[in-house]
Amino acid sequence: MTPADRTVDVVVAGAGYSGLQTARTLVDAGLDVLVLEARDRVGGRVLTEVTPSGAVVDQGGQWIGPTQDRLQALADEYGVSTFPTYLDGANLEVRDGSVHPFIGLVPTSDRDGSADTVATLLDLDLLAQEVSPTHPWDHPDAGALDRITLAEWVESAADTQTARSLVATAALAVFGCGPEELSLLYVLSYAHSGGSMSSLIRTAGGAQERRFTGGAQQMALRLAERLGDRIVLDAPVVSVSYTDGGTGEPAGVMVTAERRGADDGRSSWRVAARRLVVAMPPAVQGRIAFDPPLPGSREQLVQRAPMGSVTKIHAVYDRPFWRDAGLSGQVVADAGMLRATFDDSPEDGSHGILMGFIAGAVDRSSESDGAAGRQRVCLEELARAFGPEAAEPIEFVEQRWSAEPYSRGGPVAGLGPGVLTACGPSLRMPVGPIHWAGTETASVWSGYIEGALESGERAATEVVATLDGTALNRATGLDESSGQ
Amino acid sequence: MATAEEIAEAYADWQERCNANTRLARMLRGWERTVHLVATDTGEGFTIAVSASVLSDLRSGLVDQPDLVVSATSEDFADLFWGDLNPSEKYLSGEIVLAGSSEDVMRLDAMSMVAFLDQ
Repeated sequence: MTPADRTVDVVVAGAGYSGLQTARTLVDAGLDVLVLEARDRVGGRVLTEVTPSGAVVDQGGQWIGPTQDRLQALADEYGVSTFPTYLDGANLEVRDGSVHPFIGLVPTSDRDGSADTVATLLDLDLLAQEVSPTHPWDHPDAGALDRITLAEWVESAADTQTARSLVATAALAVFGCGPEELSLLYVLSYAHSGGSMSSLIRTAGGAQERRFTGGAQQMALRLAERLGDRIVLDAPVVSVSYTDGGTGEPAGVMVTAERRGADDGRSSWRVAARRLVVAMPPAVQGRIAFDPPLPGSREQLVQRAPMGSVTKIHAVYDRPFWRDAGLSGQVVADAGMLRATFDDSPEDGSHGILMGFIAGAVDRSSESDGAAGRQRVCLEELARAFGPEAAEPIEFVEQRWSAEPYSRGGPVAGLGPGVLTACGPSLRMPVGPIHWAGTETASVWSGYIEGALESGERAATEVVATLDGTALNRATGLDESSGQ
Repeated sequence: MATAEEIAEAYADWQERCNANTRLARMLRGWERTVHLVATDTGEGFTIAVSASVLSDLRSGLVDQPDLVVSATSEDFADLFWGDLNPSEKYLSGEIVLAGSSEDVMRLDAMSMVAFLDQ
């Protein structure tokens, strides 16, 4: 067997927030850690970019809300401030092609439909309280709840088409999936992990409450600085061979990554470790070859946990002109390319930015429109809501997560019927020396940055618990002064 | 500022509408709770009971152990019961405060919104 190019205690595959938090926790425990990241950057599904005009745009995860304490602590640690998502004035509802202003969470143009929506959301929230975020398959009716989709449930739970449409819009914005793609059990478990479905879709008091001044990737960049050369970028893990220790050999892994050489050619690089933490969505993990093969339930889970489909667009203007008309920038639409928009302008209003999601089947089928076609439709829809000025942005940027090979979609995996009850335990269950992190495995705020951080802590804790005390007694903790 | 009599009059109107609302009756099924209302400006207290999907008459004073406590100005209570005020907006701004278990708060939030929308 080819010897290892390097030997460490733990390899972490993936330098999104979950991988970074895993690595940080392991290093703090005194372990020798190497993080292999496929991209040329850290942050995973969180990416902050600056447009040519100087506008800061969060192309991926961007918000922080109440009870997301790990993320708040990280922001505090690195001195990154937050500010409230702009919410003054009226939101807009687009229904049957007409635009109606409303205040609060639920559109009010069809009052009976809106009342029905509130009642339906309450039913969903109360049901979610009964479902464990970590062991949803233990619910006494798990089989029945996992047999139907959210769409099937809402068809019978709601009395009106308005309520069904608003629940669909919520599903698209939260999961990047239509309600017909999602298991009800999965939705309930996911919602409970963040409090309730209402908390997930709220701005004030919910998941979209605040933003980070300067963008949400900053804490990842600072964590990476702190980890220093323990992170290797441009090094996708392609295969893993492992032994679980059952044959008398010590449990361990040999991780093969591809690295780009000086001549831009790829070469294999082998790292031996006592443990591996895979910190990525199941669908991305599915591209790594394992020897021996992973257990069948894990392989099946990986094939049945597809990523949601989402493209995030930002239309950048020289100022947030919609505020002059008393509008918040938030749109909820019952059809079209953009089902939800937000005011993503910087706190000082130095640019006006409208952000929107193209999600689910519409995102997938918009492939044939191309970037120019999507931009044209998005601007038409923004102009319908906010007036002709919206059709003339100074910049328009889109981030097509479905075409990102190391995300394969976003914002999160969307599990269909039958997956959690059959394969759910495989989501977190270690396989020999291999442990699983990533926001999909989180027990709190699954699908969010907070969940990524929690999953990293949990995976690191598992690893530490399985290793003997030898490594833990070594003084290899982080040296803040050297940036290592 | 609204007097206790004005709040009682507004509540009686709200109570009648709520108890005639079949969607609300469905939402309140199995939810037996005592709710205290505290007017933050006048210091007056009121008690409502919800039982068998029916809202009781408004009682003066804070009676029995509450499951939920709602704090707001007397004016906001009167406006809420007359249907002149969007409760969600007031909860979000913190002008109306609900204290209780998360499930009870969730349910009261939703029922007050449905009562507002269904009028």
